[in-house]
Amino acid sequence: MSGGQSILERPAAGFTLGARRLLASPLALKATAGIVLLGAWEGIVRALAPAYVAKPTGIARVFFTVIANEQFLAAAGATLGAVVKGLVIAIMLGTAIGLAMGRITVVERGLRYYVNSLFATPMIAVLPLVTLWFGYNADARLAVIVFAAFFSIAVNTCDGARSVPLEFLEVARSFRARPLSTLLDIVLPSSLPYLIAGMRLAAGRALVAAVVAEFFISIPGLGYYILFNSRTFKHNEAFVAVIALVAVGVSFEAMLNWVTRRYLPWARRD
Amino acid sequence: MGSEARWSRHVTVIVSLLAGAAVWEIAAYFTTRAFWAPLSETVGSLAESARSGVLTRQAMSSFQLYLTGLAAAILVGAPFGLLLARVRWLRVALENYIMMLYATPMVALIPFILSMMGYGFAPKALVVFLFAVFPILYNTVEGARSIRPELIEVAHAFRSREWQLWRDVMIPYTLPFAMTGIRQAIARGLVGMVAAEFFLSPSGLGQMIMMGSQNFDTAGLLAAILVIVVLGVGLMDFGRHLEARFASWRGHDK
Repeated sequence: MSGGQSILERPAAGFTLGARRLLASPLALKATAGIVLLGAWEGIVRALAPAYVAKPTGIARVFFTVIANEQFLAAAGATLGAVVKGLVIAIMLGTAIGLAMGRITVVERGLRYYVNSLFATPMIAVLPLVTLWFGYNADARLAVIVFAAFFSIAVNTCDGARSVPLEFLEVARSFRARPLSTLLDIVLPSSLPYLIAGMRLAAGRALVAAVVAEFFISIPGLGYYILFNSRTFKHNEAFVAVIALVAVGVSFEAMLNWVTRRYLPWARRD
Repeated sequence: MGSEARWSRHVTVIVSLLAGAAVWEIAAYFTTRAFWAPLSETVGSLAESARSGVLTRQAMSSFQLYLTGLAAAILVGAPFGLLLARVRWLRVALENYIMMLYATPMVALIPFILSMMGYGFAPKALVVFLFAVFPILYNTVEGARSIRPELIEVAHAFRSREWQLWRDVMIPYTLPFAMTGIRQAIARGLVGMVAAEFFLSPSGLGQMIMMGSQNFDTAGLLAAILVIVVLGVGLMDFGRHLEARFASWRGHDK
């Protein structure tokens, strides 16, 4: 995408010959930038910060020991498991409520204010309430994840169900399709692109929710791993968990993109 | 829309709000006070904290934190994003890293900030800043990627100077995208604000929620959450208006 428009574009001010040569291969340019950024991080931390602060060489030194560590793997598994479980629950509930809101006017009018307001609410705010309900355990984490993910899916599915082209519904009616097959064969597939957009949002929110819940409740997981190690001044080890979180987020995004391209060709919007 | 349809819509909305209030009130009588407080008590607690000045003081403290972080994010994110829009090699070099940071759950960095910067206003403002800055950068860069080279070529053909190019092409073209970023930043910054008030030195509305939960004062806890809900809805609406205001500038993309 970033490639083929260079012929028409004039070089900007400060465009050096070296950069021009690098621009010929964007990959080399990106790699150079990565090295410069890591070098700057390393240099600044070495010059200004105490020894325990995370720096690239320190992280690289502990990286493989940490990811082979049983405790770390258990933590990663716990967080990932909770996020996936929470997302599955949120997708099932959110799709059902979202479709009902999108197709049935009374449901939409009745729930709209509640769903929209809670969608706009930072879910961190309800965390203390949830721990009052569930106690300081893994159930509370799951509940916060579901709460964080549910509303973005419901809101998006509702938008999707409302934007089903009228012609499709008319054709279904003229063929006397039963309401259930209209729902499953027309409304649901046609809302899928919106559902995917909702899932993308929900996945990010669910990951944040899991980390925050682990900070708050102190149960095993990547969030707690970060908290525990940074408290004992093992920042390099803690940062490996941050990298793991980013990797989870990015791979989920990549997976959604792949599913969209492979199975939902009509969902391509850009 | 006929007046009858509008009338029936108003009725369903009012019925829905009344039903919600009734459920809130009645639910409290079927559970213990540690689980849920009736709406009447929640409103009473809200009125009490408003009367004693606690609510105003805590809300002002939260708002100061939120606005500081958000303003810093806009002041850094928008100009840097515009610079990346103009200097193409810098954008190609950095866009993947910006995307990665945009996808990073910033809450995960709070323990590092805590142990390096300790308690105080600055680390909390930094958290809000980190939550808010990357959506702005990311969206501005996305906008920059879609500037059609022909526009710049035409500007050059008419011998635009550098600042004219900025005024007539770069800024008008990138601003709507930056506004989408600012809308996202408004929402994320609020999450950052509450997270910072929970996990760094307790203050503001976050502290009100914490205190409600620690003292098993469920009415106070619900009252503070209600304030955050209202704040979230208001800010989201404001963000949408801001985005829609500039969306009409997006003449010819897609």
